[in-house]
Amino acid sequence: MIRFNNVHKWFKDLHVLNGINLQVQQGEVVVVCGPSGSGKSTLIRTVNQLESINEGEIWVDGKNVADPKTNLNALRAEVGFVFQHFNLYPHLSVLDNITLSPMKVKGMDRAAADKQAVTLLERVGLAHKKDAFPAMLSGGQQQRVAIARGLAMEPRVMLFDEPTSALDPEMIGEVLKVMKDLAESGMTMMVVTHEMGFAREVADRVVFVDHGQIIEEAHPEHFFTNPQHDRAKQFLRQLLTPMN
Amino acid sequence: MNYNWDWNVFFKSTGIGSEIYLDWFVSGLGWTIAVALVAWIVALIIGSVLGVMRTLPNKLLSGIATAYVELFRNVPLLVQLFIWYFMVPDYLPESTQVWFKQELNPATSAYISVVVCLALFTAARVCEQVRTGIQALPKGQSAAALAVGFTLPQMYRHVLLPQAFRIIIPPLTSEFLNIFKNSSVASLIGLMELLAQTKQTAEFTANMFEAFTLATLIYFVLNMSLMTFMSWVEKKVRIPGMMGGAK
Amino acid sequence: MRFTTRLLTTAVIASAFAAPAMANTLEKIKDSGVIVLGHRDASIPFSYLADGPNPIGYSHDLQLKVVEAVKKQLKMPNLQVKYNLVTSQTRIPLVQNGTVDLECGSTTNNLERQKQVAFSVGIFEIGTRLMTAKTSGVKDFPDLKGKNVVTTAGTTSERLLKAMNAEKQMGMNIISAKDHGESFLMLETGRAVAFMMDDALLYGEMAKAKNPANWVVTGKPQSFEIYGCMLRKDDPAFKKVVDDAIKATFKSGEINKIYSKWFMNPVPPKGQNLSFPMSDEFKELIAKPTDKSAEQM
Repeated sequence: MIRFNNVHKWFKDLHVLNGINLQVQQGEVVVVCGPSGSGKSTLIRTVNQLESINEGEIWVDGKNVADPKTNLNALRAEVGFVFQHFNLYPHLSVLDNITLSPMKVKGMDRAAADKQAVTLLERVGLAHKKDAFPAMLSGGQQQRVAIARGLAMEPRVMLFDEPTSALDPEMIGEVLKVMKDLAESGMTMMVVTHEMGFAREVADRVVFVDHGQIIEEAHPEHFFTNPQHDRAKQFLRQLLTPMN
Repeated sequence: MNYNWDWNVFFKSTGIGSEIYLDWFVSGLGWTIAVALVAWIVALIIGSVLGVMRTLPNKLLSGIATAYVELFRNVPLLVQLFIWYFMVPDYLPESTQVWFKQELNPATSAYISVVVCLALFTAARVCEQVRTGIQALPKGQSAAALAVGFTLPQMYRHVLLPQAFRIIIPPLTSEFLNIFKNSSVASLIGLMELLAQTKQTAEFTANMFEAFTLATLIYFVLNMSLMTFMSWVEKKVRIPGMMGGAK
Repeated sequence: MRFTTRLLTTAVIASAFAAPAMANTLEKIKDSGVIVLGHRDASIPFSYLADGPNPIGYSHDLQLKVVEAVKKQLKMPNLQVKYNLVTSQTRIPLVQNGTVDLECGSTTNNLERQKQVAFSVGIFEIGTRLMTAKTSGVKDFPDLKGKNVVTTAGTTSERLLKAMNAEKQMGMNIISAKDHGESFLMLETGRAVAFMMDDALLYGEMAKAKNPANWVVTGKPQSFEIYGCMLRKDDPAFKKVVDDAIKATFKSGEINKIYSKWFMNPVPPKGQNLSFPMSDEFKELIAKPTDKSAEQM
């Protein structure tokens, strides 16, 4: 479904992605973790080309996204993306946030789009908020709407870029629950997160990134109980030590 | 000061047909509104397009818009008016020139010149406001729009501009008021708008203070109405759950 | 708003000046040791700025005659002269509020203005006529039917032209330009076939033209207007000094020298010669000086 072939990217002198090779199979849930500044966010943003790459190839659903001839808009329409800061459209109601892209990009009519949006809102438990505006919602609710917005395009892949990092602790659970349900429904997912509980429970594979390189790639059970690499060990130690 | 006040002056005959001086103010106000409103609409359209251009990744387009802003913002309005009124017509084809200068009613040709001049001048200022509005939006907004597969025009139309315009309503209001004040340059090419009619009345009656007091009052009421209108618009488009518009 | 504020400020300043109503200009001059002369910047050849910081011109020469008389009257040979530039909008209020003691430029004496200020005896008389290209075929006012005609905003010519257009249904398009220079520009660039204005000013504009020979001043004068110097109302002592000084210049024949200097010889800044001979109307005014406006005669 997604395949990275020796991908490099530089920000000026900084080598943010240094020879990434990675594959995500259909229906697979891959969690990407790593210390901050490791390049994991950049990595996930290259999949739908919110970040361009300097070298290598990224194939999504059989299309090379770095090829200038690829229709990026069509590709992005098939790849849902959930941001750390939700990025809902503040000027539109919850319902309109979800219906906007199906209507404008796919040409769906308003009635069908509304119906679909309500279904999705029910799925994320927010049907009663369809007429609210983003600023009236809590962070957790906003992120659930953002997931519904992503699903409205009926994507083949969902990408999550630290979806819970900006949330108050008590709201993290509700978002993870929605993500877990989604994973169980068979969605192909690539998730950048520090939520190791989620990784352990839901992920098929954990990818550990540091200094722009994939250092370790393993089944969650192996990764958490028996990390191979020193940096991964250190990372896990820090992550699991409370109040650090 | 031994000034001779006479507030009845506005109801006196101008000596031209059956006109009284008040008629001059009414017609002056009419021209002022006609100039400012039309120029404003054109300025909003052109300024928005330029403002969007300035934020585009395309270097050529944003360069054109930047050059436009520099040119039109830095040349004094009066100079621009004289260029549009006296110089530009001389570069038109011969027949158009004759039509513009002689066959067209002079008030109409002055009107066209001043509307073009004010619209292009104000467009440069609107452009900067629109650009600032767009750039003030969180980067995540364009990322979110692109991520669902919007094209660039769709992103501006549905996501960026509706938010940017809400942010810039206050500075746009002040540009809107400015264009009404700036419309008084029209008097310099013989268009009898409010200020011209005021000066005219002052000159003819020698009741200068009455004339300018009335003009002050009219400009004041006009400005107040415009501000009331704009704050109504601002309230109308305010986003529920947000204080004072989008952020 | 900025415009409004400026107006209000002007009004406030004006009324602040108004407080000490100075009915006696001579006393004020004596106390301060200064006489303030109001002048124009571009009323060629009446009162304008050319080379130096001080104004020059026909009206200004007469103004200096008055200064001499004031010096004599007050026995103040070292009386200081201060200049204050006025525009057509500011000249009346600045005289009224005491900023300017005497304004000599190209101000028409008329009934409306007499309600606000006093006028000296007439210093010049003009007729309102037309300037047009020699080739235009326009000889007189009736030829202007359906044509574009320019005049300067706020002048008597403008009012006469508009009234004529309304009464005789001539279908003229009247352009009101902001000053004489711009009126002439409208004529020169073909936006108007004729320019109606005070004849002396028309000759002034003609002299400035690139090719003065292309233009002609024509048409029956539609009105006569007498220019006067402006001073404050109800100040008979000062008015007498002003009037006497001007009358003496008329009587001695010195006025002919001054007239010839400004209207029959090259004048600054470009050394143009207006070649505008003295009209019979003005000769009559010199013979019988009066402070009445033309409409009162």
